[in-house]
Amino acid sequence: MKILLPDRSCRDAGPDPVTVDELLHDLGFDPVEVIVSRNGTLVSEDAVVGNNDEVRIIRIAHGG
Amino acid sequence: MRLLGTTTRSGSSGSPTGDERVPHADVTGRTPPCSLCNEPAVYRDRTTGRHFCRDHFIADVEGRVLSTIRSRNLIAPGDHVAIALSGGKDSTALLMILSRLLPTFDSVRLSAITIDEGIAGYREDTVRSADVLVARFNLPHLTVSFPELFGGTLDAFLKGREPEACSVCGILRRKALNVAAEQAGATKIATGHNLDDEAQSVFMNVLRGDLPRLLRDSGSDSQGRFIPRIKPLMFISEKEIAVYLMLHGAWADLPECPYAVHALRGEVRRMLATLESRHPGTMLNLMKSKAKIEAQCGGLLEDEAVHRCRECGDPCSGEICQLCTLKKTLR
Repeated sequence: MKILLPDRSCRDAGPDPVTVDELLHDLGFDPVEVIVSRNGTLVSEDAVVGNNDEVRIIRIAHGG
Repeated sequence: MRLLGTTTRSGSSGSPTGDERVPHADVTGRTPPCSLCNEPAVYRDRTTGRHFCRDHFIADVEGRVLSTIRSRNLIAPGDHVAIALSGGKDSTALLMILSRLLPTFDSVRLSAITIDEGIAGYREDTVRSADVLVARFNLPHLTVSFPELFGGTLDAFLKGREPEACSVCGILRRKALNVAAEQAGATKIATGHNLDDEAQSVFMNVLRGDLPRLLRDSGSDSQGRFIPRIKPLMFISEKEIAVYLMLHGAWADLPECPYAVHALRGEVRRMLATLESRHPGTMLNLMKSKAKIEAQCGGLLEDEAVHRCRECGDPCSGEICQLCTLKKTLR
């Protein structure tokens, strides 16, 4: 699984399936402050990611 | 920047949003279904546990905004609503939603007003974004700048006093919005304040022990002194706004205001986000607490005398308004 982080860096993770919530927790993100897409589609926090998914974590910018 | 791929559905979708563009569906059994249909969920409401597909999410957000407007009488027949459009995500979503809801209102006009404070490396991008948006929605658009109104940029005014940025900017922006709205002939100013902003304000006013401000800073905070301000997104969370924009392909990865790091609001934001994550519904509960306090104590402030500023004539609570007091300190 390929993970694209808000700072535009990229990280590889194992193929084991995890929920988005678990993934965010492991990476230290607060689910209230980010949204997540899987293979280009927005998904809820209890969706499952893994295998060859490309997961993008987008931080919600503030101050607009 | 467009992050989500979209496809075009052929024929009538029968979607609750009436919008034909949908994200690529990834139905693999790893995606919970929408609580209202069997489409893949794109969002889960952490408070209720309900899941929403794209179309039902958009319909839910727009329905709640309409409900806020109606229950609080924010927009009346014949109103000219000027949207305070910074070009950031909140005001962008506000413009899109009000444009979609416009046919449900009787003889209401929309326009946009943009304030260019002069914040280098930040406001240029959002002003450009605002220009593109109003062109797309074909709305009248008026932009006013701090140099035009006050003789200098915010950057120049804040040299050496950066920690005061939000207070200084708030006072100047308030005046600038009023001037722009008057020039546009508006009867209401709609701002993009969302649930997170409102909950943060409640918490900050409690931390400061500022009961009058807690009671005044409501969804419509004009008190009849200025052009009334309305906050149609006050019950829509920042995350919901981000998802709404993403689903419309309207999400832009814009920079954050460089002065935000100095604000108490930044600390309160982080604290509330953590609480909301651990205890879903915290922000909404803060708003409910405020409403209860308003119901009990709101009348206490009604008799406060309204003066006219001795220098500019604007309504204020003392002899000199905040703007005239501030102007004496600006370089």
